Amino acid sequence: MAGHVARTVAQYLLVLFAAISLNFALPRLAPGDAVDYLLPPEQAGSLTPEQRTQVLSQFGLDEPLATQFGDYLSGLARGDLLFSVRYGRPVTELLAERVGWSALLVGGAVLLSTVIGAVLGFRSAWRRGTSRDAGTLTGVMLVDSLPPFFVGMVLILVFSVQLDLFPIFGALPTVDTSGPALVGEVIRRSVLPLVTLTLAYIGPVYLVARSALVSELQEDYVLMAEAKGLSDRQVRRHAERNALLPLSTVTLIGLGALVGGAAVVETVFSYPGLGRLIYEAVLARDYAVLQGAFLLLAIGVIVANFVNDLLYPLLDPRVRRPRAATA
Amino acid sequence: MTAPAPLSAVDVPEPPPAPIAAVAAKASLARRLGGLGAGLLLFLVLVALFAPLIARHDPDLPSGLPYESPSLAHPFGTNDVGQDLFAQLVFGTRVSLTIATLSALVALGVGLTVALLAGYHRGRVEAALMRLVDLILAFPFMVLVIVLAAFFGRGLLTTVVILAGVIWARPARVLRSQVLKVREYQHVVGARAMGASTSRCICRHVVPRIAPLAAAQFVRAANIAVLLEASLSFLGLGDPNRVSWGTMLYFANARNAFLTDAWLWWILPPGLALTAAILGFAFLGYAIEELADPRLARAAPRHSRRGARRPPAVTPAEGAHAGMVLEVRDLSVEYLADPPVRAVDGVSFSVGPGRVLGLVGESGSGKSTLVMALLGLLRPPGRVVAGNATVNGRELGRLHRAAVARVRGREIGFIPQNAMNALNPAYTVHHQVTEAAALTRDLSAARQRATEVLELVGIPAPRHRAYPHELSGGMRQRVVIAMAVTNEPSLLVADEPVTGLDVVTSARVLRLLLELRDRLGLSILLVSHDLPLVARVADDLLVMYGGRIVERGGAKAVTGAPAHPYTRQLLSAFPSLRGPRRRMTGLTSEPTDLTAPSAGCPFHPRCPDRGEACRCTHPPLVEVDVGHEAACLMRDQ
Ligand code: SF4
Repeated sequence: MAGHVARTVAQYLLVLFAAISLNFALPRLAPGDAVDYLLPPEQAGSLTPEQRTQVLSQFGLDEPLATQFGDYLSGLARGDLLFSVRYGRPVTELLAERVGWSALLVGGAVLLSTVIGAVLGFRSAWRRGTSRDAGTLTGVMLVDSLPPFFVGMVLILVFSVQLDLFPIFGALPTVDTSGPALVGEVIRRSVLPLVTLTLAYIGPVYLVARSALVSELQEDYVLMAEAKGLSDRQVRRHAERNALLPLSTVTLIGLGALVGGAAVVETVFSYPGLGRLIYEAVLARDYAVLQGAFLLLAIGVIVANFVNDLLYPLLDPRVRRPRAATA
Repeated sequence: MTAPAPLSAVDVPEPPPAPIAAVAAKASLARRLGGLGAGLLLFLVLVALFAPLIARHDPDLPSGLPYESPSLAHPFGTNDVGQDLFAQLVFGTRVSLTIATLSALVALGVGLTVALLAGYHRGRVEAALMRLVDLILAFPFMVLVIVLAAFFGRGLLTTVVILAGVIWARPARVLRSQVLKVREYQHVVGARAMGASTSRCICRHVVPRIAPLAAAQFVRAANIAVLLEASLSFLGLGDPNRVSWGTMLYFANARNAFLTDAWLWWILPPGLALTAAILGFAFLGYAIEELADPRLARAAPRHSRRGARRPPAVTPAEGAHAGMVLEVRDLSVEYLADPPVRAVDGVSFSVGPGRVLGLVGESGSGKSTLVMALLGLLRPPGRVVAGNATVNGRELGRLHRAAVARVRGREIGFIPQNAMNALNPAYTVHHQVTEAAALTRDLSAARQRATEVLELVGIPAPRHRAYPHELSGGMRQRVVIAMAVTNEPSLLVADEPVTGLDVVTSARVLRLLLELRDRLGLSILLVSHDLPLVARVADDLLVMYGGRIVERGGAKAVTGAPAHPYTRQLLSAFPSLRGPRRRMTGLTSEPTDLTAPSAGCPFHPRCPDRGEACRCTHPPLVEVDVGHEAACLMRDQ
């Protein structure tokens, strides 16, 4: 068990290191001069070659790569992520401001899509081969094929523009509110982005839930459960208990996909999360912010996967209590 | 790292072969969806090919006033700078499909190469490659794509490279496990042993076998690529020189198309076009996967609600032999197919109180189907077409699910095949026995009963809270037996209860069954392919072949003077209970194909004693001695 944990930790440290290295390498591998990634486009364009070299040495970019990497790592360790050219503020500050909103959105969507996807998937598996299963399957695939930004735009059109039920932009009310009114307003403004993101992620959960339960239903223990006289409901619970295991994995790993989806959805709804920040950074060619946000998300997803790897054995008694079998 | 590809069908163990009709039913759904997907994609490809003929304006130049309403000249109107929206939509098809196809091709090429390399050069190469694959799969790929695109520019080729660079990991993982599987196939092993070179092996044997899966992975990759390209374009990271559907939506969003009336023509068409393309690839991919590896299709619906009509009220059956525990009359079971397969054909028998009846036949003889029918656990498309049964005089009619459900676990206990794998790994054995006990008593009494009955079958108290994987095979077998007898049923049905156990354990299990019969007053229906073994413990024997009873009688009479050639073969096929296991040399060929019934004796093709008459006359079951019957024509002459 301890060996397993150590190996898992080592593996994830490796992945983490890869993410950090990639982040270091990106601006250095990309076409053009590093100066283009350090200064706002207008400024960088008007520099003379001498000024460019000056900027490079100012940022230590004329040093050998190994030294640069060392500086980069020690900077990271101090939580130092450069300055945003657009906002003129430390990137860490910007990220801290935005990350909460994204967490709210992504967390809510993970929860909702997992529950809905699992319920639908289990129901389909239980009635597999029937026309209801076929109908649900087709419907879920259809919903899954709708691009999230398109869904977002249509929801805005219908519920905000035509019906005027929800505000279009932002997460916070424009006028000063406080107390319960503020909470209510925040919830109201999160509804549409949350629905959009949830819809985008039901599909994968559904498919995994369905195929996991179909596999479980073919196991001998299900036949035994029926044979010993259990009701359909009890039999179903037996199988679902085991089908939940792969589902827990797909939920956490899907975080990666969801975080990406959030980038697009936040853009549509002008929701002030990390995704919107990334979009703004792309528009403003604000590479420091882009790198910082990417690193933060990568670390978040890696940590989620790590937690899943550690938690999984607790859910599965086969791994939980490995005791030697004796006759 | 945990494998993040739980969707891949290839890691799952093969299920038992399923009845034909279920496969057909599900395959038709896959085919329908596949046709739909292919149709959608074909339409889009045609639009892309003939774009200049379909659209009358240049998509990139203003061809009208800003915000023109739809008209003949501009079917979808114009956008804020007067570009024709219909032309943009039509030409956007080209961009989306080109990028999707190219990215998917590159991704599949890389993925396939990695899969073959990893699958054929095990060890360090494989470890390194798969670590890389895991790494890429764990990354938030959408964000990765956005960041890469922001740094590396926005041309068509750049986009293709970036998308392929993110997508290839999934096909690589799925295809690799398939390569590993194919490697194990006998003929590949044989070819390698005979000295064929690795590359020849791959081309001749491996590639053809993984081709369907590779096709499915290509379609899946294209599906993801369409969405990723659109998302990039939507974020303003698309190719600036070509209008794609994502770009249209980008401008619509950035220029607040919602607030004008143009939204209907500006937002809906590109969004729906994207959906159509993604859906086309999704349907097609699903269909290819299903048809190539119909794992999900194989499973028949477990519960057909229509079949579970309310059973007739349970009444004492007329004409039932008084005192019989189980009585089966003229039972026939068919698998719905074209033509229907009759797996059990007019079988009648009964089990008296305290008796052990052995039911013997090879696999395919219909004995397992008969057992499933008796327990009401027959899966569609199997169904009881004739006959009925009584348990302790209670009429079960045609063994409808709901009717049998009332006696299952209460009056009939069941020990399934592979009993030692029949426990749920997620619950302790005590919990699982308690569940059964709780059918007839409250929870605390059920817990107590579970402890009692586990003791009864010889599981020491400290092991009651163990999970199944913590017990030996023999112990798990005992737990299953405990579950089956918890509610003191009058009949215990045991399907191959000792197959797969070693000689000592199986002798112990058989002894336990006989003990339980004495202590609980059980009757036992013992089902097995092993006639000599069954004969040692059974009072009476039934021999089944081709869905019918071919011989029946007291165990001593049947084994001492077998009247049917098939019984004689079964007896000579096995050396003895305690002897070493040998191949069944006595059996000359495969069991009869039930789909091609002949008029004559079903055993005729394999029978050493057959005569002219056997080919066209069906032998009835006739008495050869007192209480001993056989169905063989040659017996009478
Ligand atoms: S009836 Fe003929 S073919 Fe059939 S078992 Fe008897 S001898 Fe053999």
